[in-house]
Amino acid sequence: MKRQRRTASRVLMALVFLFLYAPIFLLIIFSFNRGNSNTVWTGFSLDWYRSLFQNRLIMRSVYTTLLVSLLATAIATVAGTFAAIGFYSLRRRSRTVLNTVNSIPMMNADIVTGVAMCLFFVAFFTFWGDFSVWFNGVQHVVVLPGRLTLGFGTLLIAHVTFNIPYVILSVGPKLRQMDKNLVDAAQDLGCTWMQAFWKVILPEIKPGIASGALTAFTMSVDDFIISYFTAGSSSSTLAMTIYGMTKKRVTPEINAVSTLLFITVLFLLVIVNLREARAERSGAERRPVSRKLTQLLDTPRGRVFRRGAAVVLAASFLAAVVLLTGATNAQPMVNVCSWGEYIDEDLITQFEEETGIVVNYQTAESNEALYSLLKSGAGDYDVVVPSDYMISQLIEEDMLSELDYGQIPNYALISQRFKGLTYDPQERYTVPYAWGTVGIIYNTSMIAEPITSWSALFDSKYAGNVLMFRNSRDAMATALSYLGYSLNTTVETELREAFQLLKDAKNRGVYQSFVMDEIFQKLEGGNAAIGVYYAGDYLTMQENNEDLAFVIPEEGSNWFMDAMCVLKDAPHYDEAMAWINFIASTEANLANMDYIWYASPNQEALEQYPAYYEELYGEPLDPETYDIIAAPPEILERCEAYLVLPPETRKLYTDLWTELGI
Amino acid sequence: MKPKLSRLAVPYVVWMALFVVAPIVLVVVYAFSSAGGGFTLENFSRMGTYAVVFGRSFKLALIATFICLLIGYPVSYWMSREGPRFQRTAMVLIMLPMWINFLLRTYSWMSILENSGLLNQLFQRIGLLDLYNRLTGSSLPYFPMMNSQGAVVLGMVYNYLPFMILPIYSVIVKLDGSLVEAARDLGANGLNVFRRVILPLSLPGVLSGITMVFVPSVSTFAISKMLGGGTELLLGDLIEQQFLGGAYNPQLGAAISLVMMIIVVVCMVVVNRFGEGEEQAVIL
Repeated sequence: MKRQRRTASRVLMALVFLFLYAPIFLLIIFSFNRGNSNTVWTGFSLDWYRSLFQNRLIMRSVYTTLLVSLLATAIATVAGTFAAIGFYSLRRRSRTVLNTVNSIPMMNADIVTGVAMCLFFVAFFTFWGDFSVWFNGVQHVVVLPGRLTLGFGTLLIAHVTFNIPYVILSVGPKLRQMDKNLVDAAQDLGCTWMQAFWKVILPEIKPGIASGALTAFTMSVDDFIISYFTAGSSSSTLAMTIYGMTKKRVTPEINAVSTLLFITVLFLLVIVNLREARAERSGAERRPVSRKLTQLLDTPRGRVFRRGAAVVLAASFLAAVVLLTGATNAQPMVNVCSWGEYIDEDLITQFEEETGIVVNYQTAESNEALYSLLKSGAGDYDVVVPSDYMISQLIEEDMLSELDYGQIPNYALISQRFKGLTYDPQERYTVPYAWGTVGIIYNTSMIAEPITSWSALFDSKYAGNVLMFRNSRDAMATALSYLGYSLNTTVETELREAFQLLKDAKNRGVYQSFVMDEIFQKLEGGNAAIGVYYAGDYLTMQENNEDLAFVIPEEGSNWFMDAMCVLKDAPHYDEAMAWINFIASTEANLANMDYIWYASPNQEALEQYPAYYEELYGEPLDPETYDIIAAPPEILERCEAYLVLPPETRKLYTDLWTELGI
Repeated sequence: MKPKLSRLAVPYVVWMALFVVAPIVLVVVYAFSSAGGGFTLENFSRMGTYAVVFGRSFKLALIATFICLLIGYPVSYWMSREGPRFQRTAMVLIMLPMWINFLLRTYSWMSILENSGLLNQLFQRIGLLDLYNRLTGSSLPYFPMMNSQGAVVLGMVYNYLPFMILPIYSVIVKLDGSLVEAARDLGANGLNVFRRVILPLSLPGVLSGITMVFVPSVSTFAISKMLGGGTELLLGDLIEQQFLGGAYNPQLGAAISLVMMIIVVVCMVVVNRFGEGEEQAVIL
């Protein structure tokens, strides 16, 4: 009877563990997959492990993650231990208050902690900017840096802040278990408080410190949300890199890196546990060594040694921090923020090799998200690549700096057609990057009839199979275009009508989900039948799924131009000019056009691309494909470019967009 | 001599004031200010519109917490009945998944649950899909599992279950065995021993487990975005959208955060009333 019950409970526990580990085993299995799919097994290979070590983005973020976790754990363990002792010797009432404050970071939702810290840092930076201007004006001995930004420093502060409570929480109980009289006795017998700490307290609370440090480290490694709000754009942890990838495609390299981390941790834990188990079995054997060590450290010479070691450790720790932060700042670099799947990454390597400038390449989800990043101070970039209407808005709000075209000779190569457009009529702020159109992409194996109209996006017939834009401007444009209104309308009734159309369709369950770059894997994998996205990205998807078709609806659509701009007060202005000039060259445009399938604004590249394609792949480029990349004039006639909207309309968009989500 | 030790707390108190208290004060300030900078209550007057989102988030988080408790309590209890070696291994096995980033584990669920994902492939191969279609007369090409509230709850349970098991286990395992024996000797049967002795004594662990699952569940945004498809916003999504997403309005975001924080704190105070007098046992 009893044995049966035990078997039953073991079976159930095994099921729970299976539930916990099934997804992890899948990740590990698919890290050995030959193809890049996470669902279809195509054969065994170690290629992803090989390419992992060449993937700078992943390697850099693994390094950042480990560094920030180790530093934060070290600092939090020391600070938390001292704080716990301090708390312990406080009077009861103040201790209760402090314990409550201490538990805030643990009890509070991560997102609130992250948001609060982000607001705090940005507010402090603004204050610091004013202060440094004043301070540098008053005296000329020390020059303070005027501009601080979110980065590794703020990330570290945030991690330390949420780690300390865990250390205090596991050290506190150990202190309470300790005999209070011991400390008093030690001090009565002539110990200084430092000696009392080393000789009496520390040995008692050691297990608490160890488990606190382990918890802190685990929390640091696992954290995503707080890092996301405090790391800024220049440093990104592994979690942030993964988050960026889940939006488009998670490459199996991520599976590989996780497998390696997992195995390392498993290995370490097994060793620790085996040693613990052995120590338990033969408890007394290890004692003498540690006692001898303590005795040794207690002799006068030992004390000198101990102090020396502490100084050396502290100094090397500080030096490491200074060196690491210095090393990243000393190199010439440029921070670029663009869109996902929007550059041939070999170009970055090529630029770095040619110029020695390190490119920190980030992506934003949409123009609106980019705007949020810039406004909130979370994004600190030199070069951004917004679309036409957003450029106007940034110029309007005085957020862009004028370009030094003298440093960008390749600007001459840009076609006259794309110079002096409405967003930058006097050609002062921008160098065009790429252009394209928006259209409907559908899977012909799931939809029998040809789609020609926007109505497909609002039709109950396709309920649960449609992917809609997750950004207000593009989503509203589909509805406005369907209703026959201008994409740039400012009439509230028209906008509300368009909103209602979207809202109704959403309530009828037409939309499977709202997506940006997630659309790649959803349409390629046949998980949805209809989507609306950019022409160039359609061609990328079509390479992976031949059933996909593209159409620019008969009602018309949007054509857009994305252009490179430099932000006001960009810290790496000259490097930014070098980057822009490099990207504007014909070679770079050809490589980019071939990789991202968006049309180039560079006249030569646009003309030479079919020949370039033929030379590269040994077969002529399908003229239809070329027309999808670079829409011919008769199609562009049907398309409208976005213009910047007046502030009231923008506010209406924001409000409607938030409401649509509800 | 003794006051010297309490001075050790000073640096951390300063640190807390700077990086814990000040940021939260700033959230409050933001919540009550307009985009221009003046004082306003407008951010709160719009809160009624978002009641649906609040309701949805709390509902899903409650369900997830309940399921976690339903699974977590028995597992912790059974674990504590096993031998020391089993216990140690089990603890390691529960901590270990946290070392694979939760986003990646959630992503893995995506490839399991997608319409053409592994589970649907399996159902198709073993003929379950055909069987279902024949029985109900429908013609489903797949079982829709992704992009639903169920998928989001699954993601929450999966990610936060260890946070339920660990505190409950750490309390049960320290339970004084002689109390159980005493109850037995006094004639209590198995059920009564559990109900009268073990359950009340393990309550602090249960309470901290509930907190540790509920709070992250109610405020998550990554899980709902990945498994829920973004058609039904949760609180976390709404807040993220106002700060770094597509609808920049940090004042509104701060107001929503503040309201959420207050509701959560009230919930937690009410819940912790049950375990009055007991020290919180949030030990991992």
